[in-house]
Amino acid sequence: MAVNGAVPNGTADATNGLSPQPTVVGINFGNSYASIAVLTKEGISECIANEDGERQIACAISFQGEELYIGNQAKPQLVKNAQNTIIGFRNLLGRKFSEIPKDKPVVSAPVIQHPNLRDEPAYRVQVLNPAPTPLPTSAAGTPAASSAPTPRSEPTPAERVLTVSEVTSIFLRSLVKSAEDFLGKKVTGAVLSVPVWFNDAQRTALEKAAREADINVLQLLEDAGAVTVTTSALWSEDVSPDRTQLVVDVGQSSLELSVLSSRQGLAYSLATLTDFSVNGDRIDEKLVKFFAKEFTKKTKTALTVCPSAERQDQRAEAKLRLAIEHTKRTLSASPGAATCSVESLKDGLDFTSSINRLRFDMEVRPIYDQIYAKVKELVASAQLDLYDIDEVVYVGGSASFPGLDETLAEGLPESVVTPFTSGTVIGGGIGDPTTILARGCALQAKLLASIGDSSEDQAVRKAFERDSEWAKTKATTKSIGLIFPEEGAEGDLDGQWVPVVLKETPLPCRRIVSLQVDVGEAASGPWKVGFEVWEVKEGVKIEKIKPPKDEDDPEEENQVGGDPDEEEEEEEEEEEEEEIETKEKTLEKVSFLSSLSFAVEEAEKTSGRLTARIEVQFLLDADGGLEVSAWEVKKSGRGQKATVTVFGPS
Amino acid sequence: MAQVVEVKVVPPPLPQSWTPPESTSKSVSPLVERKLLPAGPAYLAHVRRTVHNLSFEEHDKHAEEERKRLEALDGNGGIEDDLGVGDEAETEELLSLDPKEWKKQDHYAVLGLSHLRYKATGAQIKIAHRKKVLKHHPDKKAGAAGDSNDDAFFKCIQKAHEVLFNAEKRRQFDSVDPYYSLIEDDVPTASQVTKAKDPVKAFFKGFGPVFEREARFSKVQPVPMLGDVDAPKEAVEGFYDFWYNFDSWRSFEYLDKEVNEGSDSRDDKRYTEKKNKSERARRKKEDTARLRNIVDTALSLDPRIKRIKEEEKAAREAKRKAKTGGAATTAAEKAKQEEEKKKAEEAAKKDEEEKVRWSIVLHCSWHELNLPLVRRGLRPRKQRRLLRTRERRREELNVQRRKGRRTFYPCPVVLCVMHMDMSVFPPLR
Repeated sequence: MAVNGAVPNGTADATNGLSPQPTVVGINFGNSYASIAVLTKEGISECIANEDGERQIACAISFQGEELYIGNQAKPQLVKNAQNTIIGFRNLLGRKFSEIPKDKPVVSAPVIQHPNLRDEPAYRVQVLNPAPTPLPTSAAGTPAASSAPTPRSEPTPAERVLTVSEVTSIFLRSLVKSAEDFLGKKVTGAVLSVPVWFNDAQRTALEKAAREADINVLQLLEDAGAVTVTTSALWSEDVSPDRTQLVVDVGQSSLELSVLSSRQGLAYSLATLTDFSVNGDRIDEKLVKFFAKEFTKKTKTALTVCPSAERQDQRAEAKLRLAIEHTKRTLSASPGAATCSVESLKDGLDFTSSINRLRFDMEVRPIYDQIYAKVKELVASAQLDLYDIDEVVYVGGSASFPGLDETLAEGLPESVVTPFTSGTVIGGGIGDPTTILARGCALQAKLLASIGDSSEDQAVRKAFERDSEWAKTKATTKSIGLIFPEEGAEGDLDGQWVPVVLKETPLPCRRIVSLQVDVGEAASGPWKVGFEVWEVKEGVKIEKIKPPKDEDDPEEENQVGGDPDEEEEEEEEEEEEEEIETKEKTLEKVSFLSSLSFAVEEAEKTSGRLTARIEVQFLLDADGGLEVSAWEVKKSGRGQKATVTVFGPS
Repeated sequence: MAQVVEVKVVPPPLPQSWTPPESTSKSVSPLVERKLLPAGPAYLAHVRRTVHNLSFEEHDKHAEEERKRLEALDGNGGIEDDLGVGDEAETEELLSLDPKEWKKQDHYAVLGLSHLRYKATGAQIKIAHRKKVLKHHPDKKAGAAGDSNDDAFFKCIQKAHEVLFNAEKRRQFDSVDPYYSLIEDDVPTASQVTKAKDPVKAFFKGFGPVFEREARFSKVQPVPMLGDVDAPKEAVEGFYDFWYNFDSWRSFEYLDKEVNEGSDSRDDKRYTEKKNKSERARRKKEDTARLRNIVDTALSLDPRIKRIKEEEKAAREAKRKAKTGGAATTAAEKAKQEEEKKKAEEAAKKDEEEKVRWSIVLHCSWHELNLPLVRRGLRPRKQRRLLRTRERRREELNVQRRKGRRTFYPCPVVLCVMHMDMSVFPPLR
């Protein structure tokens, strides 16, 4: 008998062995990179690394003989096995072959017309079929008699045609497999992110591909939605729950911008913009070109890249592209020099070089400027000013460069919150650009998994489907708030302004503010407290002032030589001729809605003033009808409630 | 709950002359149509309110209920489940343990598992160890002013974990668990039970926990427990049957004397090992005898045995009565009784003979007994089983012999019949 064979030890009952979290995952499925997030035991979502230890999993699959490489392993195959390596397939989902532009040079397996299906894009790859199984043997252990010739025992070369949907299925399946390996349990559902510009056909195609990969898709969540979930998951002290967010998604293949009005976690998009000409690939190109120049300088070997015509140059470019991945990560993580080294880049010559952040920012300045221009365009289309943005959310690895944030910060108010100001870019907190979407998707999956199965909940579940009726809502156009009248107050407001319901707040809504009010000089109560309820118009006043002319510009001395620098210098000088813009937020009273006054009984002295604590509640119904109530917060509880109502717009 | 936004500004007092201004607009400005992003808990709450047509207060109530329900479902409200390990108070004495004396420490107490002891599962031990390590790791105490011996208790924890996490070592420790060793001899004696006010109650109260304690050593689980006064005959017999055939995993390696590692003398080592081995065997023997003693005492005091015997007697009586019928005459009855008596005597005599025969067989030298068995080619396991049964029988007989009922006759004749099946072994004349 084994030791403890009868298990005399260890019989105490375990109370509850089940993990409270559902086994759902969030998948950020981009065109170039994907990431997976799962729920931890505490219910927080966390981006996980796959078997290769990668959190940013390249969307690539490669066929090499009998082997199939998926993810980051497939990337190096682009150097020698580009014809059998498939990348950039997500954007082709649900599209017809004739719709796909074919003007771009391809560095991977080309998209072809499917031989059997009409107008269907596909890939053709060379594979090796595994060797056939040996002939069936008879009982004596010898092959059974057969008239067929003895089959070859080696794998046979074959051609395989894969549709985009099949490729996507293979890739998604591997993602979910990674998550299952991590969790040790079967994944019951997943939320996938989709770009906002995906049309119905593309979304349906993605759903179909996921279904074929045996994934239960709980929802296809737009990127902006995932951002909302992540950023509203934790209220922090320094960020107001009502804020206007600018989402800057610099992906490897496209730039996606949107302005969100996020009101206590309830958000909608005010404007979106997608541009395929500005993307992470362009940044890569700049870097590759930079390093290729360095290489030529160092080794006196010509290397033409982006675009490269010769076979050798193409290989060198592919190698450089792989190598700068590491360089870029170093650049976004530390201000020091980032190295790039490639063995046998061209003609058997090794290459090692480094670039610091300053130099890098200089190289990619044109792209930053393009992004900045696009942001301005977007904000203008939302009829806002850059100064109205309260928070910037960056998405994507290429958005982790501090240089981009510095560029954008020029136009934004100083109080703006970005992942750089809160220090979460490197630390991997809430705003970590590389994982924010996947984590949002995982949290959304958790939310959807928590909805029950009763008939009422079924209706609720429907609200998360595409183009749901329930998502339609009305929103306010002007900010509503309190004005505490004051004699001889500065400005046009005649009092102290306390905003309660901001403009672009979806209805119905409820807001409660708690504040201390000065009750005046009288020594004993009751004291009278009152306020007016106003609608106001917010604006931004732009003033232009001439800067004082500086004779000796310190910057001039700091300039380093080189062509691009001089150009910039000229630009700067031109700019300095112009006036400097200063911005200021303005308020303008539009309409008086109502007023409320009541008596308070308790007050205490704080910093020399006698103050009482009151709470004011604004309740706006779905049609805009407003109910304002206020009460005193006493030590023993709530005081008498005073209420006024205002009709909604008829 | 509704979220209350705290406003930092302190508004000025209401001017005396204030009167509400003339209303410029009686309603809120016109609204715009927007499309919400179907994401996040806020959207879910919004949809719930709209679908069920709830006001904010009603929804608050709903959400609160839901939260409570989920919390109840989780068991402990999202706090990590520690499988009932809990936190035990650490006494001053425990914290000042010397890791060099680890053999003497109570490993369960060190890991804070003294409420579970041998019942603790592997997972519980793991959790308990982790808890203790998090608390007592030297790195945690690096900042605090402490002496160089600060990690003594941590070493004790590691030792305890080493012992308890290894199944073999744990079994050895459990065999001599100090907590149970203290109360091991706490067994009621015959006089204690019989002299008690209520002997029956005293018996069950006294022996119940004893058997529960001893049950943990059984290789066969579950172990039948003492039960109560009304236990049926089968249960009682099953109980004693089990406990007389008790198969214990208890062993005494833990109490071995440390082989002196410092000396290279092989002889020294061998001597110690030999001594340890004999010591173990002696202890095991003592333990078996101790348990046997307990069971014997229990059997002799068990009120149920008396009851069962009486019941059997009554049943026999009833049966006989039913057989003879109420019409039988006294004489016939007497004759019958006589006959019965004679029969019983005969049976008793036969029984006696049988037993004598057994005793003879079983008291032969083991060499003599083993020899033919081996020659017969039985499989070793079967052989052992046979030997075990015999040993048991012999012991039973020995007990009886000690009581003076039997005398021992060595009989060389037995050797002649060793090859025969025991059941056809003819009675001695």
